[in-house]
Amino acid sequence: MAGSQRTTVAGRLSRAADRFALPLAGAGTLAVLLAVFYYPVGTVFVEALGPENPVWGVLTSEFYMGAAHGVFAHPLRVPGDVAAWLADVRVAAGWTGLLPEVRVVHPGFRKGLFGFTAYQAALSTVASVALGLPGAYVLARFEFPGRRTLQSLTILPFVLPSIMVVVGFVATFGQFGTVNDVLASLGLGRVQFLYTLEVVVLAHAFYNAPLVTRMVTTAWENVDASAVETARSLGASPLRAFRDVVAPQLLPALAASALLTFVFTFMSFPIVLALGGLQLATVEVWLFARINQLDYATAAGLATLETLISLALTYVYLRYEGSQSAEGTANPLDRHRLFDAAGLREWLVRSGIAVYGLLVAVVFVAPLASMVLASVGGLEDPTLRWWQFLAERQAGGRTQPATAVRYSIQFGIAALVVALPMGVVVGAFSARGGHGRKVVDAVLMAPIAVSGIVVGFGLLRSLVFGVDVGSYRVSLVGPIVVVFAHAVAGYPFVVRNVAPMLSAVDSRLVESARALGASRGRALWDIELPLVWPGVLAGAAFAFAISIGEFDSTVILADGNVYTMPVALKRFLVDRAAGPSTGPAAAMGTVLLAVTAASFVVIDRVGGRYRP
Amino acid sequence: MKRRDYLRTVGVGVAGVAAAGCLQVENTGDGDATTSATGTESGTATRSGTTTKTTSADAGPLRVATYDSFFGDDGTAGQWLKDAWEADHDTTVEFTAPSNGVNEFVERKREGAAIDADLFVGINTGELVRVDDALADTALFDELAGEVAGSDTIKDDLRIDPEDRALPYDTGYISLVYDSTTVDEPQTFEALTSDEYEGALLAQNAQSSDPGRAFLLWTIHEYGPENYLDYWERLVGNDVRVLDDWQPSYDAFLNGERPMVVSYSTDQVYYNGEDQLPRHQVGFLNDQGYANPEAVARFADADNPDLAAEFVEFMLTDEAQRNVAVNNVQFPATTTAELPEEYGQYAYEPPEPVTFTYDELAGNVDAWTEAWARQVATN
Repeated sequence: MAGSQRTTVAGRLSRAADRFALPLAGAGTLAVLLAVFYYPVGTVFVEALGPENPVWGVLTSEFYMGAAHGVFAHPLRVPGDVAAWLADVRVAAGWTGLLPEVRVVHPGFRKGLFGFTAYQAALSTVASVALGLPGAYVLARFEFPGRRTLQSLTILPFVLPSIMVVVGFVATFGQFGTVNDVLASLGLGRVQFLYTLEVVVLAHAFYNAPLVTRMVTTAWENVDASAVETARSLGASPLRAFRDVVAPQLLPALAASALLTFVFTFMSFPIVLALGGLQLATVEVWLFARINQLDYATAAGLATLETLISLALTYVYLRYEGSQSAEGTANPLDRHRLFDAAGLREWLVRSGIAVYGLLVAVVFVAPLASMVLASVGGLEDPTLRWWQFLAERQAGGRTQPATAVRYSIQFGIAALVVALPMGVVVGAFSARGGHGRKVVDAVLMAPIAVSGIVVGFGLLRSLVFGVDVGSYRVSLVGPIVVVFAHAVAGYPFVVRNVAPMLSAVDSRLVESARALGASRGRALWDIELPLVWPGVLAGAAFAFAISIGEFDSTVILADGNVYTMPVALKRFLVDRAAGPSTGPAAAMGTVLLAVTAASFVVIDRVGGRYRP
Repeated sequence: MKRRDYLRTVGVGVAGVAAAGCLQVENTGDGDATTSATGTESGTATRSGTTTKTTSADAGPLRVATYDSFFGDDGTAGQWLKDAWEADHDTTVEFTAPSNGVNEFVERKREGAAIDADLFVGINTGELVRVDDALADTALFDELAGEVAGSDTIKDDLRIDPEDRALPYDTGYISLVYDSTTVDEPQTFEALTSDEYEGALLAQNAQSSDPGRAFLLWTIHEYGPENYLDYWERLVGNDVRVLDDWQPSYDAFLNGERPMVVSYSTDQVYYNGEDQLPRHQVGFLNDQGYANPEAVARFADADNPDLAAEFVEFMLTDEAQRNVAVNNVQFPATTTAELPEEYGQYAYEPPEPVTFTYDELAGNVDAWTEAWARQVATN
């Protein structure tokens, strides 16, 4: 009697858990977002509503908006100005002997800070896609030894602190860098790469091409092989089958990664100035300078516009994503063996891959390798003193490398554990939510659309300083808050990896489960998650990567005794005992690289084995 | 007025949160909003001479806010100060490094949050101007010189604060560092705009970098507020590169990317090997160097104002001056301190140190910097 009662209670409990799990997770997600994101960031954005009307001030400034400022400053003159500009455009048509040649000469116009920022972000996005897409092709369609490990390692560049990327790029692309040394030895002469827009774009591609590779690979692996086979059996050529069956399933992932790349590079800051110089300044440079100068109104004005642009793009993307529907599967395409080719076409494809491999070696491997090399003093002057330096700090310094590793991993795992349910819940909402969900969805993507500087500053002003509640001042700080801040920064990646796959899952499957009495949460767990597990896994890797690379909120929310690997690296960089050398930082960077590489492999292996 | 009793609650309703996160609740009382700048705590200094070693009424620990590289390990100025102080006193010294420097305390003051520190170490003239601009109605720091014996030994041309709150404890001089195997010493500002030095110089963003701002101010000192932008137009026309911070520019210089970098006149302290010296020559333009004194100031809300004054007094003693300068790779701020011979051999002082005073910078420095940055970033 008692026993049966207990089962009834347990059964009721589990049914209740079933029914309320999803709403609870949703409410928890919102609570976390409100506490460590919307409220803190809101305290900064509210400055934009001040009496000075900083947003309008930015819009009407030629420096910020370039030629576009006229639209706001004196709209009536715009048609006349445009007409005058067009009147000065000269088009010359000629014949080169082989091809017709059309030259357009137009008077210059100022792009302004926003225009230039968008311009370099667009270039960076194109470069990242161009560099990342072939990687997805190779990883998704070919089999070779070490493929899975390589796939796990693709997002490594993502976690590297920008100063280390700069050091690596100077060593690789500088006047006396590896590439120029090779060019010189080939008798080709040295090329000035540094301090150009091109090298900034390349550095952005270094960071973001892996994102394209990883997200598209995941989508490619989820393509239903039987659909392709059906198309082929119906007489479609391989190209036609790719165009009609495969490409539509890759496009959402490609578009999502391109969007994320644009948004990231739009808010890029240290790397632009360190490799390009102030001549190539972006909006974020001014945002930082204004906050540093305590001019919060202008900073908030800039941040508002920056975020609006990012969110508007996100919204446009989400409309597009919603219009795409494709069938996902757990029946992936067979891979070709990379080192086994027959016929001219296959040989051509493989030589193309070899060229691509060379490019990857120069752009990705060389900067990373030169950092590792810098940690042992380079080839000419090899030394172990920077590693001894790390060992000394370990033995009793304020900043101990092993402690940094421990905190980094703890924060990374905890952030992943928090970000995954957040991302899946919001992803489910994004894929199957009701009316108006695209707007809400875009707003929920805000953590990637708000500048890190603004987030950090908002956290300081709200959570760290605290708010008055009656005669008490309540502040929220410490490692747990760091975890939530990291999770909030990382969860949009889970959403954008999971949502497109979730919307590809046949909704009839979910509906039948619901008709049979399963709660929405149960249907998500039992039916949908197993089908989109690769997306969840990719999202998990990104959430972990974001946490590992995060700097600002870690420093702001934790006290000086709690530090992660990037924080330790930064401290070693300015450590006077090592002089002006980047050696200790390079050694710490090498540790960071090794630890995160191992972590990514473990995440993929463990996650790959476990499928709900 | 700053009664602080933290009720560290055991979690925010979730047991797991208690272990690591903390919700701090601080009773701010009623009068907090009217916190005045008169240093009311010192009025309670009645328990004097309770220990044999210290004469201070304050129990400590002395809390010092500074920048990240000032303290932590052996070989830092902060660690030397802490060790030397604690060997002689019953009170301990605790350092903290807020991520956004003195701005954090400006924000705290504005928002009515606790200051939680006694001293700020490492403020410069421009920052002091900024603090005063931002806090017109209240004072973040209070007058200090009168309570510090030895403050009269500070070099006259380094005194940055007309109100005697911020006292310089060391100074650096901004100069060029050049590779003499590639270029000759430029000698003058004008030379930098000549063909010989086209594409040769690395500078830093004055909005975010200390040496970058000092170099900009140096050019304003030379050409005046009316003409410095013209000079910079020529400089940028000669392909000077303005990077974001000292570290990347110096790293590029070390890699041979360019033969000249805006840096510090103490460069050879690190590079004095026979083969290194030619690549690390210090160049004083027009025989000048721009002095960038670092100062210490006491918070008006300090819990231990007397102890703080005593610590600053200690910072200005000859021994501390020598050790802080050497560990910080800077120069002493007082007339009486002397540098170790070997150090002095490689740390150069400019024949004519120049710098802007507080009054000259007040109301100007932000506009100067912004106008300059807008001109360089012509997109």
